Amino acid sequence: MVSFLLFHSPNFAGFVVEDVSTIIKESVEATIGGNAYQHNRVNQWTTSIVEQCLSQLSKLGKPFKYIITCVIMQKNGAGMQTASTCFWDNSTDGSCTVRWENKFVYCIVSVFGLAI
Amino acid sequence: MTGGMEEFHNGSEGSFNAEEADTIVKECIENVVGGGDYSQSQVNKWTASIVERCLTQLVKQGKPYKYIVTCAVMQKTGAGLHTANSCYWDTAMDGSCTVRWENRTMYCVVSVFAVATA
Repeated sequence: MVSFLLFHSPNFAGFVVEDVSTIIKESVEATIGGNAYQHNRVNQWTTSIVEQCLSQLSKLGKPFKYIITCVIMQKNGAGMQTASTCFWDNSTDGSCTVRWENKFVYCIVSVFGLAI
Repeated sequence: MTGGMEEFHNGSEGSFNAEEADTIVKECIENVVGGGDYSQSQVNKWTASIVERCLTQLVKQGKPYKYIVTCAVMQKTGAGLHTANSCYWDTAMDGSCTVRWENRTMYCVVSVFAVATA
């Protein structure tokens, strides 16, 4: 009964893009920071970023399932394009994509939140 | 290049069929990009087209799922690329499928995530 009221009260904001964006930026900064692309470390970076994001998101305690994707690309002039499309409930679900870079790498993280 | 998480969590009737999704995705990529070379002016259309086609085919299956389809196309110039996915969901019912495709001039990585609604 209490849960029902919480989810439907005006204070339940659903998927809040700003909060998620902050979580993502902090995870990426903490993991990559000013480092250059290192082939033997990048595996750990992507894993670390998605895990940190997931952990922070689940701490928000909202009734969502989450999908997090992370792409790290070395800066050497290659072109790259990404796209995503979703079939979901427009009123409750949402996503947030953060494009981050330093002098050596690009990092693109997307979080998709699907209401349960 | 390495991709994301495991694709299947079980083989029971109600769960996501990753093999079917894999076939759908491969066909969509072939149809859109096929034997073409990486083209800066076209790549925007390609990624949009691939995700839309995949989604349309998946939804046609009529299963009780929400879907997220992502696509990354990268030019082959020797740059390193790494991707990872992490999902917080119902491991019995939900699932994902990642397809890595390439031709002479580019890589294409498509991921489908299916989240049960019923």
